[in-house]
Amino acid sequence: MRRPFVFAAATLLAACLLWPGWVGAFQSEGTVRIGGMWPLSGPAAFFGKAAYGLASLAVDEINEAGGLVVEGKRVKLALHAQDEACNAEQGLAVVKRLATVDKVIFSLGPGCSSVAEPVFGTLQKKLGDASDSGLQLLFFTDIATKFGLAKLSPWVFRNTPDEPAMYDFVVKYLKEKHPDLKTVMVSYESDFAHSAATWNLAVKPALERHKHHQIVEVVDWRWLDNEFGAQVTRLRKANADVYFSLTHTPSTCPSMLELKRQRVKPKMVIGITSLAGTEVLQQCPDVAAGIIAPSNFAPITPRAKQVADKAWERYKADSNIHSVPAYENVHLMKGLIEKAAIKNTEDTLLADRRKLRDQLAKVGTFQGVVGKITMRPEDDPVKPRDVDKDMILVQIKAAKWDVFWAPEHLKRN
Amino acid sequence: MEYYIAIASIIGIHAMLGLSVYLVAISGQMSFGQQGFFALGAYLAGMSTALWGLHLLPALALGVVVAAVVGLLVGFPALRVRGLYLAIATFGFGEIVRLAFLNVRYTRRIGDRVVGPNASEGFRHVRYIYDRGITPLEYLGIILLALAVVVVLFFALERSKLGATLRAVEEDEVAASMVGINVTRAKVFGFTAAAGVAGLAGGLFVHYSSYIDHDMVALPLAIASVTYPIFGGLGSFVGPLLGAVVLVGLTESLRALHDAREIIYGALIILTMLFRPRGLVDEALVLRVKGWLRPRAVRRPAPAP
Amino acid sequence: MGTALFDGTEQLINGLMYGCFYALVGGGFTLLFGVLRRFNLAYGSTIMAGAYAGLIPVYLFKAPVLVLFVTTIVVSVLVGLLVEFCCFRFLRKGHELAPLMTTIGMLIVIDETIVHLTDAVGLKYPAPFGDESLALGPFLIRPDYLAILVVSIACFSAIFWLMHRTRFGRAMRAVAERPEAAQILGVSVRRVNVLTFVLTSAMAGIIGFFAAVSVGSARPEMAAWLTGKGLVVMVLGGLGSFPGAILGGLALGVLEFEAVWFLGSSYRDILAFSILFLILMVRPGGLLGSRPA
Repeated sequence: MRRPFVFAAATLLAACLLWPGWVGAFQSEGTVRIGGMWPLSGPAAFFGKAAYGLASLAVDEINEAGGLVVEGKRVKLALHAQDEACNAEQGLAVVKRLATVDKVIFSLGPGCSSVAEPVFGTLQKKLGDASDSGLQLLFFTDIATKFGLAKLSPWVFRNTPDEPAMYDFVVKYLKEKHPDLKTVMVSYESDFAHSAATWNLAVKPALERHKHHQIVEVVDWRWLDNEFGAQVTRLRKANADVYFSLTHTPSTCPSMLELKRQRVKPKMVIGITSLAGTEVLQQCPDVAAGIIAPSNFAPITPRAKQVADKAWERYKADSNIHSVPAYENVHLMKGLIEKAAIKNTEDTLLADRRKLRDQLAKVGTFQGVVGKITMRPEDDPVKPRDVDKDMILVQIKAAKWDVFWAPEHLKRN
Repeated sequence: MEYYIAIASIIGIHAMLGLSVYLVAISGQMSFGQQGFFALGAYLAGMSTALWGLHLLPALALGVVVAAVVGLLVGFPALRVRGLYLAIATFGFGEIVRLAFLNVRYTRRIGDRVVGPNASEGFRHVRYIYDRGITPLEYLGIILLALAVVVVLFFALERSKLGATLRAVEEDEVAASMVGINVTRAKVFGFTAAAGVAGLAGGLFVHYSSYIDHDMVALPLAIASVTYPIFGGLGSFVGPLLGAVVLVGLTESLRALHDAREIIYGALIILTMLFRPRGLVDEALVLRVKGWLRPRAVRRPAPAP
Repeated sequence: MGTALFDGTEQLINGLMYGCFYALVGGGFTLLFGVLRRFNLAYGSTIMAGAYAGLIPVYLFKAPVLVLFVTTIVVSVLVGLLVEFCCFRFLRKGHELAPLMTTIGMLIVIDETIVHLTDAVGLKYPAPFGDESLALGPFLIRPDYLAILVVSIACFSAIFWLMHRTRFGRAMRAVAERPEAAQILGVSVRRVNVLTFVLTSAMAGIIGFFAAVSVGSARPEMAAWLTGKGLVVMVLGGLGSFPGAILGGLALGVLEFEAVWFLGSSYRDILAFSILFLILMVRPGGLLGSRPA
């Protein structure tokens, strides 16, 4: 065995592992540390990097405007980002790193629901319960949209799309503005919880509630499938007016291509919320043309446009329905940290987190980039600690996302 | 500190998974399906504590037993083939298990929650250890205790007649059978025991993470499970242990490299295998270490690596 | 019943054509295993690397599809040679599991490099065979599947000609049967290995091109998917048997298409793996093979 090589490798390994965040810490060095765990590598890197960029932009803006005031002193924000790589084991390690090594007061993310589930599931379930050995770290999530995640722990708050409400609106809109479109066909990804849940818990109930449309065909596939001939043939035979393509970009693009091949031309195609970003514009802007998706973000107000431009310019970060909440969250938390009167020392970290958590729990309505956002209270029976936001309908036109419909009060801005 | 406890917990669980692949490997076969037994152990142990109110130990035991029984049932037909055929057959088995859980819905309302495997939504609320206030350090102790039990059994195996039997089967099946070894029985035993070990790893994992779904037991876990023994070395059970320590450790310690992390990880694997083609703890090293530990035994020159 | 027969037939036609694609992938794995007696788990990544690299001239110079196709093949060959150099050349006989691990390492390096460069977003591929299905009687036939059929027949014919009518092919078969004897007879085993890599990597380029064209984009998931299918086809047909790979590929294609139509995508993979399992139990050497593993 080549001993010097082994020794050197072992030392390097140990050094990397023990490397702490050599950034200023706490009041003594004029910093408040916030964290973010996102998929910065792996299959969801696009979304993770976008959110990281938007969060960094918000931190920059706050620091450039003088930072925040804690205990009468001006301090800066420091963002500690960790890569969860869409992997549960890494997520479980990284959350402990953020909580105990980086010692952040709250964290954004995670990006992947398969990371959020174990991470949130292992947080403390009841506040102040000494018999619960779960972790006590505050989360203000930007991306992970899976149903019911915020219910897992009182330490979890989310600023994520409310899909049942959005699709209820879509169905209502179709019923009122396009009453002649009566038949509906649906596709969803059977192995992707977000897609299956969007169909089962958002779209299907909405269609049943409004009693206007008839569901003539439902097909499903795997989100990483390469072949869609059989399912699209079924859609072609169904030939419905409206096609709900509740699938993510990797299967939306090839399946829409197959629809084109088989000359299937529904009068309207409604997509899943996550579609509203540049991923689909890079992969298949032509076959996806015309798809309408519900979203919470589009550069329709001057402020929204400014944020999108700056995020791209500084961090090459795409501003979309999942990444912009990271920006909104950081700005909101800046004010809440000041209101929470934290002490910002290592010894008071847990107490500070609790204070901040309590502030977030009663924040009520606050300003987002596009419109107002309302945080539901903890005793809400349906979705505690989740938000209600303004929604817009966007549509792919000429390889760009255009606004298809927006509420009046947003258009006026 | 808790960060290192988390890393150690994953190392412990993955080391056990690596040991299960190792147990099949030393009888000369490569199984790419141990993650299927891992999944069985995870789901069964999770259901035991979350749905049926069992305590941790019986839950883990149930996971081990179910995984082992399935291992026995699968092993008999599967071990009729060898080499890549077995690898693909076992990978296929792993996929069948994963896809089965993707389609299974078995939930019950407990309090205000819906608990149980719920198809693509996964199986959450496996909160046994957290609800009882078992700290991460205490649970790490449980994981390491289980690992120690497995290691002691392996150690006994290596020095026993059965261990020699398995290695004889690996060396030359025909010769082994001519010496009177029931080759099929030996291989099936190894496979069954390995399945049980993987099931134990799965049961420990689901209680650590409180959640399991089909995505967590797919191809990436299959590749990782096989990498630990091959990279770590097949000379002794220390190999997969060391493999898990180094590889999981690398995943965490290379975080400073950001995006290039995985690329460097893969390159390090290639380089290590080029320098030590039989893994870190290969047969030559084991013989040399045994030579040190038994100075009074006849000193034979270590064979060229 | 009438529609079931009609639909079944349409899926059969599509399945056979797509099966040719699977046969190509399995064939690449098989050729390499046949000559080197080792598995190249980085083959799927080689295919994917070629497919992505083909887009470079398109992005830089708006190059036509032919340039894309040629670039795909050239880059695949270069990557294949890199794989041979890093993962196989320095490993001596007797270390059977080492190439498994080095190629897994290489798979990780190539895949992660592509993910790193593209943020895991798929990149658009042109549709040189048109984007409308052709009506062949009452059936809808995909033009790119027809192209795959034509190209695979050409490839298989070329490979058969190469293996049985040229000196290199004789050398390849000699090394595949008995490497030591071949060496004694003056065959440079190393040269045969390298040229085999060149051949299979050129195939990889063709495969990558068609894989990306039929999906409409080059995607990071391609490598894992191709590796899985390739290994299944190779095992189904019988290790080391090139005709077996063709048969295995066609069988898998038809099985998958029929299964998706009649049972849905949820059961497609379970059925495919179960049937594979059963076939291995009944014929442990695959459909046509008899080589020991």
